[in-house]
Amino acid sequence: MSLTRILCALTFALLLGAGGAQAQSNQASLELVEPLAEYKLYVAEHTASLVEDTKEFVGAIKDGDVEKAKSLFAPTRRNYEKIEPIAELFADLDVSMDSRADDYEKGEADPNFGGFHRIEYVLWEKNTTEGLDKYADKLLADVIELDSRVSELTFPPEIVVGGAAVLMEEVAATKISGEEDRYSRTDLWDFEANFDGSRKIFELFKPLIDDEAFIAKVESNFADVYEVLADYQTEDGGFVSYEKLTDMDRRVLSAKVNTLAEELSTLRGRLGLG
Amino acid sequence: MTKDSKKKAGAAQDYGCPYASRRDLLFGLAGAGGAFALRSGGAFAKDAPVSEPQKKTERADETSGRQVADAPSGSGNTRDRVPFYGEHQAGVITPRPATGIVASFDVVARDPEDLEQMFRKLTDRIAFLTQGGKVPQLDPKLPPADSGVLGPVIEPDNLTITVGLGNSLFENRPWLKPHKPKQLVRMPEFPNDALDADRSHGDLSLQFSANLLDTNIHALRDIVKNLPEFLVMRWMQEGDVPVIPPKPDGKTESARNFLGFHDGSANPDSNDAELMEEVIWVDEKDDEPEWAYGGTYQAVRIIRNFVERWDRTPLREQERIIGRKKNNGAPLDGGDRESEVPDYAADPDGKLTPLDAHIRLANPRTEKTRENLMLRRPFNYSNGVTKSGQLDQGLLFIAYQADLDKGFVTVQRRLDGEPLEEYIKPVGGGFFYVLPGVPEPGDYLGRSLIEAASKTSDDKPT
Repeated sequence: MSLTRILCALTFALLLGAGGAQAQSNQASLELVEPLAEYKLYVAEHTASLVEDTKEFVGAIKDGDVEKAKSLFAPTRRNYEKIEPIAELFADLDVSMDSRADDYEKGEADPNFGGFHRIEYVLWEKNTTEGLDKYADKLLADVIELDSRVSELTFPPEIVVGGAAVLMEEVAATKISGEEDRYSRTDLWDFEANFDGSRKIFELFKPLIDDEAFIAKVESNFADVYEVLADYQTEDGGFVSYEKLTDMDRRVLSAKVNTLAEELSTLRGRLGLG
Repeated sequence: MTKDSKKKAGAAQDYGCPYASRRDLLFGLAGAGGAFALRSGGAFAKDAPVSEPQKKTERADETSGRQVADAPSGSGNTRDRVPFYGEHQAGVITPRPATGIVASFDVVARDPEDLEQMFRKLTDRIAFLTQGGKVPQLDPKLPPADSGVLGPVIEPDNLTITVGLGNSLFENRPWLKPHKPKQLVRMPEFPNDALDADRSHGDLSLQFSANLLDTNIHALRDIVKNLPEFLVMRWMQEGDVPVIPPKPDGKTESARNFLGFHDGSANPDSNDAELMEEVIWVDEKDDEPEWAYGGTYQAVRIIRNFVERWDRTPLREQERIIGRKKNNGAPLDGGDRESEVPDYAADPDGKLTPLDAHIRLANPRTEKTRENLMLRRPFNYSNGVTKSGQLDQGLLFIAYQADLDKGFVTVQRRLDGEPLEEYIKPVGGGFFYVLPGVPEPGDYLGRSLIEAASKTSDDKPT
């Protein structure tokens, strides 16, 4: 898909969609078009990789290759975690692909508990691929559906810009505790992908913000979280088990994530988005 | 860095200052007279220079004899204001209002500069929240500056916020460790304890107390919102105490705990300034670092009460376990008033008050055990239901003393093995050192500690 085509579609969507948006001048809205278009490309790039990686992951499951499936779990998810800031634009797929056992009253015993974490649960807790075929098929179908939707999806600027903060809220509320990837302990992979995804949005819209102190503070907090994560990175670009994270580092991450959530929560307002 | 944090959403420059002007404040200080105010009970009355006329407050009651653990009278209102500035922090010898929270945090601060910034910010928030004022109105496109829980104008509502520091804050920082108060340790696990790691210890404690629970909640949320880069919450416990109007003769009684007994009857007189200096406030008499003068040790214990079992225990047995009459709080050796003092010397074999009764072990009332006095300021808590379907209720025990070993630790050692243990289980809490007060605006909580730490820190010219 060409950048021009996306740009045109977006401009159109913006002009139509932003009709009710307060006293925003079209000029200001137009300023948002370029970063939004770039963001859409970023998302499309990752959904495309997600499809490819998921095919391989699902292939390993169907081959009954537990070890290979385990090794592909975190790298495959990473693509998804990077675009999670806008997950609310495809909430149905998000539930299907990325819900956790806690989202079901019966927990793991609930057959409706599917997606990445069902597969994670069986791979690590049961150490098998048995019974996973239908969940793997569904995951791949969801991923393909997501990828095909993205090109037609309207990206409302307030959702994209707001997504940077929302994701930090989620990390602070339900990830820093290590509950996301509780069976595989690959949480740090997700953290990095989440920070990447959130920072991408910040970087794209940064040129539109003229508050240097704010920019410096956000950048320094991002730098701090990457610095902490670097200590846990493995040679192949992955991460050690979440259990290796020291209490002290968990606290630092938690403080930085909350500070980022607090700071980035002003991003929409700073860009004049309601 | 300082610049960054001030920048926040372009607002709030005057958010932290409750005073119309510095002049108002200085005027007020001169009027009150420092030395007298100190003797009359610390922060109290030392600075009443508030921008609105001060109404009758709990602290005003303090002069008329209210004690820390007296049941709140219910006459408090949202305009009640406890002065923030003073030699000591408020919330220690301040009569306890109806509700309280203890919250414990881990601190993210790598050097004395970080810690100073945290203390300054905390000071600003506490000064504002406890004195009240208008919430700044921001561009509605931005998140609001305040949760709005108390509306657009914050009423002080008798709020005090008391800051304490835990052992781990010092232990984990080589530049701070040499300055640790001598008796500050990680709270040990006493024999009857079953400490839950998720409800124990921490780098910093905040004790909130106010007339209304919402006022505490509002203040806690404000601090969490304004200090995310420094404070990571570990645990919190809410509590309250029953409001009881004074009796016709003007006397008030100690509030009851969830065992149904008066609690705090034998507290030292919080209106006796000399006694408070001796029992509560750390100063030259104590073997403590100079920066700590004006502070005090805080022992927090979350003590679950097995209330179903207690309620199925014969009254006579309950009274012998506690050592008081349940109806009126009087000692078992006679009288019908809570304030009467038991004569243990006349009852050496424990025929009237068993030797292992709670109050007798806790305070044997001998000349020797006078050094074990402490000031208790507890709240009752109710946390819902346990997995077994029993009520999860108990006491948020908070005690203050200048000497932690002679105070809480010694008393608890005497209580170890007491018959009451069958009905109670301490599950959390921690030991903290309450910082000295902030004498005047421009100053900040923890300054004396920061200055001491900066002197020994390599990278820090002050």
